[in-house]
Amino acid sequence: MGFFYSQNNDFFYRDISLTGGTSVTIEDKNLDIVSLENSISGKLEGANFREISDLITREQIAIIVETKSDEELTRNVLEDYLNYELTEENSSFEFTGALLSESFYQQLLFAILIAFALMSLVVFLQFRSFIPSITVIFSAFADIFMSLVVVNLLGVQLSTAGIVALLMLIGYSVDTDILLANKVLKRDGNSINNQLWTSFKTGITMTLTSIVAVLAAFLIVGPFSSILYQIFLIMLLGLVFDILNTWITSISIIKWYAINKEKKKNEN
Amino acid sequence: MKIKLTWRIWLWIAFIAFALISIFITPTVMQQGFMQKGVLIKSVTPDSFAFETGLRAEQVIIAIDRQPITNVDDYLEILELKSKTEKEKTTITTINSEYIIFSENLLEISVSKIPLTNLKLGLDLAGGSRAFIEAENHKLTTQEVQELKEVIENRLNAFGLSDMKITTVSDLFGNNRLSIEIAGATPKDLKELISQQGKFEAKIGNETVFVGGKSELSVTRTGSEVVVENAVPSSSSTYVSKFHFPVTLSQTAAERFAEITKDISVNATNGGEYLSKNIDFYLDDNLRESLLISSSLKGQIQPTISISGSGTGTTAEEAETAAQGEMKKLQTILITGSLPFKLTIVKLDTISSTLGNNFVKYLFLAGIVALVLVAVTIFLKYKTRAAIAPLIVCTSEIFITLGIAAFMKWDLDLMAIAGILAAIGTGVDDQIVVLDETRQKEGTKSMKQKIKNAFTIVFGAYFTSVASLLPLAWVGGGLLKGFVLTTLTGITLGVLVTRPAFADIVRLIEKENAS
Repeated sequence: MGFFYSQNNDFFYRDISLTGGTSVTIEDKNLDIVSLENSISGKLEGANFREISDLITREQIAIIVETKSDEELTRNVLEDYLNYELTEENSSFEFTGALLSESFYQQLLFAILIAFALMSLVVFLQFRSFIPSITVIFSAFADIFMSLVVVNLLGVQLSTAGIVALLMLIGYSVDTDILLANKVLKRDGNSINNQLWTSFKTGITMTLTSIVAVLAAFLIVGPFSSILYQIFLIMLLGLVFDILNTWITSISIIKWYAINKEKKKNEN
Repeated sequence: MKIKLTWRIWLWIAFIAFALISIFITPTVMQQGFMQKGVLIKSVTPDSFAFETGLRAEQVIIAIDRQPITNVDDYLEILELKSKTEKEKTTITTINSEYIIFSENLLEISVSKIPLTNLKLGLDLAGGSRAFIEAENHKLTTQEVQELKEVIENRLNAFGLSDMKITTVSDLFGNNRLSIEIAGATPKDLKELISQQGKFEAKIGNETVFVGGKSELSVTRTGSEVVVENAVPSSSSTYVSKFHFPVTLSQTAAERFAEITKDISVNATNGGEYLSKNIDFYLDDNLRESLLISSSLKGQIQPTISISGSGTGTTAEEAETAAQGEMKKLQTILITGSLPFKLTIVKLDTISSTLGNNFVKYLFLAGIVALVLVAVTIFLKYKTRAAIAPLIVCTSEIFITLGIAAFMKWDLDLMAIAGILAAIGTGVDDQIVVLDETRQKEGTKSMKQKIKNAFTIVFGAYFTSVASLLPLAWVGGGLLKGFVLTTLTGITLGVLVTRPAFADIVRLIEKENAS
């Protein structure tokens, strides 16, 4: 991650909704993506091309062009190539100015900070002790961080939706950790190992059902929209990492903490 | 055995009933019942003939000239037929009333098919245009942005756009901007109407005679004095069409004209006698037209002035259409006056509706597949009838969230739907906690104690999720509001209504199993 930041001076690749630019969806079944790319990519700044096709028939539905150029230039260049007018009937344009997207980006980073602060506060209020709280918070952070690393390795350009999905991971992540911490700390006569085992059984069922549901959504709607693709990809990654973080890292810390606490009680 | 339902289960049923009503009982269902015919008026151009007779958005047209209209195709067919005949009178029958318009121009009314539900789809699913607007080099205050909203609303209305939603949005860093969502306007119109500040000035020499806006003048928009001339060729490949229309000056502006012209000398030319200074029309500090003033007007209080301009095109027809468009824009600017700020469009989206329809279809499919898979997984794990309960509870949760969205008139965009799916995910998790806690064999805890334990965990996770999502509501110029609202509604409903009901259902089933 440190390497990535030093290379790109950022935490991840940003798409045009966070750097500014235009995204055009041309609904044309016969448009050839390769020749489109060859003839116009020089005329638009940092253009990239993608096609979306029907889930079942595999037939091309539309081509998406993303560029840092503004709406007017993009429209002119595309219309020149296509030889027809791009209207609301056959295309969609999404333009975001560079200043606005920079402001969105700053706000999102700020929102993540506030979210973590508020979340930590709520967790501390629940447990009123340091180690379990910090374990829950750290686990959420690790889920987000690890997912982000994989997203970067895959070269995905994150949009607003992607960052929102990272925040959504907090919710999914704390579920299992709070379950674990609660069961071990308020164990009501049961042995620590027994509590660890029952919470593992419950927690793993939770995460697996979520993974199954998210995977289905990812496969069905992911190809259609980069928004949904990112959201479900990140949730999927986050859930997988949550299994590692909760049932390897958190469980060890909580167990150590519970045993230590028990010892102290006995010594007194 | 007779099953006694607890109040929690009743509350849950009440919420489902509420959702059913708020989603499916549309205003037209109230009037017509479920067999609906006709077309819904989406908007009527203000100040049009149709508007003056009393036709408004949300009314349902069921017949035109006594011919019944069952759907949009019928409506378009009649429109087509009417454009071929020279009939001046149109009778429009709505559910409650009948309107007679002395004009065949039904294009002042935009219609759509009668919606089946009260759910409102967001821009990215339903199609349309949206622009975010800021002042150039100026940070708008809350009050300024409010004033701007009114001026823009006026201007777009005066231009003939009515099916729109203008809202002010502020964000985490205290920036205020205007969001305009509009159906049916081309982005080009929208851009010109907004990016032109529209400061209109009529000057003689350096002195201003009048400026645009209601306090100085009123514009004549129809009648024989409003003229778009036949286009004439101006060069080998361009045509020019001129237009002019009269404006009536206010008393003070007319007197100002007399005051300024009384000392100007008269030039005699072979075309007639004119004052030595012209009257110049400036738009946003650019000189647009310069007209001679007849010497007979010198020092006179002049109540009407003819404003002129032109349009160009590669064919005569194109030039005339351009002139018509230019005239409409100039009239709009004269009526509404100058915008208080120079504005810039910082975000502009135009979304076609075709792709959106595809999305809705596949989102629906994804939702169903995901739910079925969840049910199968839970069944494989527990092998009990209770496994069916999460399926029912989750479906009801989606349904109630949608019901609340319909009731509150929230726009459901892609992110909002993603939010609903996310809420379902935490919902399933919580139900598994409830199931596991209650089925625990070890220990001596009572059922009540077990459920209490489960809810400690459920509420803990709930408050943490709320805390982490809340800051997003103020990010991104309100674009994430839909997401935050649906997610929070979904998970709140979950912990307060559906999961308590679920816990009671599990308790009932377990009790029955035990007996």
